[in-house]
Amino acid sequence: MAADAGTQVTELTAEDHACLTFGEAEELFDLTAAFVRDGLAAGLKVVWVSDAGPGPGIAELGRRGVEVQAAIGTGQMTAAGSEGRLVSGQAFRADAAVGWLTGELASSRQQGFPGLRVAVDMSWALRPVAGIEELPRFEEGIAAALSGSTASVLCQYDRERFDPVTLASVAGFHTRSVAAATYHADELLRICRQYAPPGIRIAGELDYQAAGPLALALAEAVRLDGDVTVNMARLAFTDARCTLMVADAARTIASSFRRVTLRCLPEVAAGFARLGLGDVPGIALVTADGR
Amino acid sequence: MSLEQGFDAGSLYALRSAVAAHAATAGLSPHRVYDVTAVAHELAANAVLHGAGHGRLRLWTRDGSLYCQVSDDGPAEPGDRAAEPAGDPVSWPVVHGHGLWVAGQVADEFRISRGPAGTTTMARFAINAGTGR
Repeated sequence: MAADAGTQVTELTAEDHACLTFGEAEELFDLTAAFVRDGLAAGLKVVWVSDAGPGPGIAELGRRGVEVQAAIGTGQMTAAGSEGRLVSGQAFRADAAVGWLTGELASSRQQGFPGLRVAVDMSWALRPVAGIEELPRFEEGIAAALSGSTASVLCQYDRERFDPVTLASVAGFHTRSVAAATYHADELLRICRQYAPPGIRIAGELDYQAAGPLALALAEAVRLDGDVTVNMARLAFTDARCTLMVADAARTIASSFRRVTLRCLPEVAAGFARLGLGDVPGIALVTADGR
Repeated sequence: MSLEQGFDAGSLYALRSAVAAHAATAGLSPHRVYDVTAVAHELAANAVLHGAGHGRLRLWTRDGSLYCQVSDDGPAEPGDRAAEPAGDPVSWPVVHGHGLWVAGQVADEFRISRGPAGTTTMARFAINAGTGR
């Protein structure tokens, strides 16, 4: 089945075999956190295989408000490295990897979970691994295993590091293509949806020339349910007009039952504080360390 | 240490980058470097949007201060005006001229001169003034 474009990570359901192509770690962890959060909230078993191993990944989820320690304790979630699951030493065999997945499917059913969610960071495939030519067969095996199941799999590929030929060779086996909704992206500025915690993320340098996409992003943030975060931790510059636009949106959203968090560098925070935003009920001005 | 650079809408990023580098070299703190860069941008953007559409920026140090001057030879348009207080008490401190208001807030001295030859704005920042206002 051909992948359709533009699926939101929050829209994934059973039988979906989704391909997430990410451009930076922030995007990978944001989308993974939303995938894990929604799976746990639905009572599903969640498995996250990350190349770095579970420790750093769990910390990244926690930073996004997705606390998974309790779920790991009860067995609802497993966070693990790729070794022994997808690869063994420096060797990859598609049959063995698909066997691991079908084992997880059977195990989750035996444990009484209504479904399974698996997120797989594919960065291990960038290392010199014997049998890597079996990667398309692995993706094909996943698609077959998911058919008629209550499971979904999110395969995560770094679009900057995987070559286009490899990405094209596996694309056809995915039913969905997932990426962060992006309002603006060029060398200087990126404005995109943030999924965990919900809101938008602005990185780079922002001035009045990007007022159009900023207005669109803010308008969609206003329409989100619940609390909203405007993540500007990597926004190095914003001009007066855009500062006002963000401040206006924050004041529109903030209420007794909705909170807005503006996360930004101290220099950017000073612009919001100058407008008196630090004293507006429902708005939290949080200075970030640049991460 | 001095800088003289022309700008238009397409070169504001390069202008900010050059201003930040020179302000840091002049010895301002990182926070004040940001302030100088922000003011330079607002003055230049004002010239682009409400003046000639392009202009020249000069940056120099003298007597313990960093000076930033922006000039354009266009006629002043309605948007190129001093900050006007917002009428709505729950609104922001200003509505129109917010960029110029910011310049007035963060610079140690700020002046606008308008004449038949165009508009010149000048902001002064004390060097070694800590983190500033």
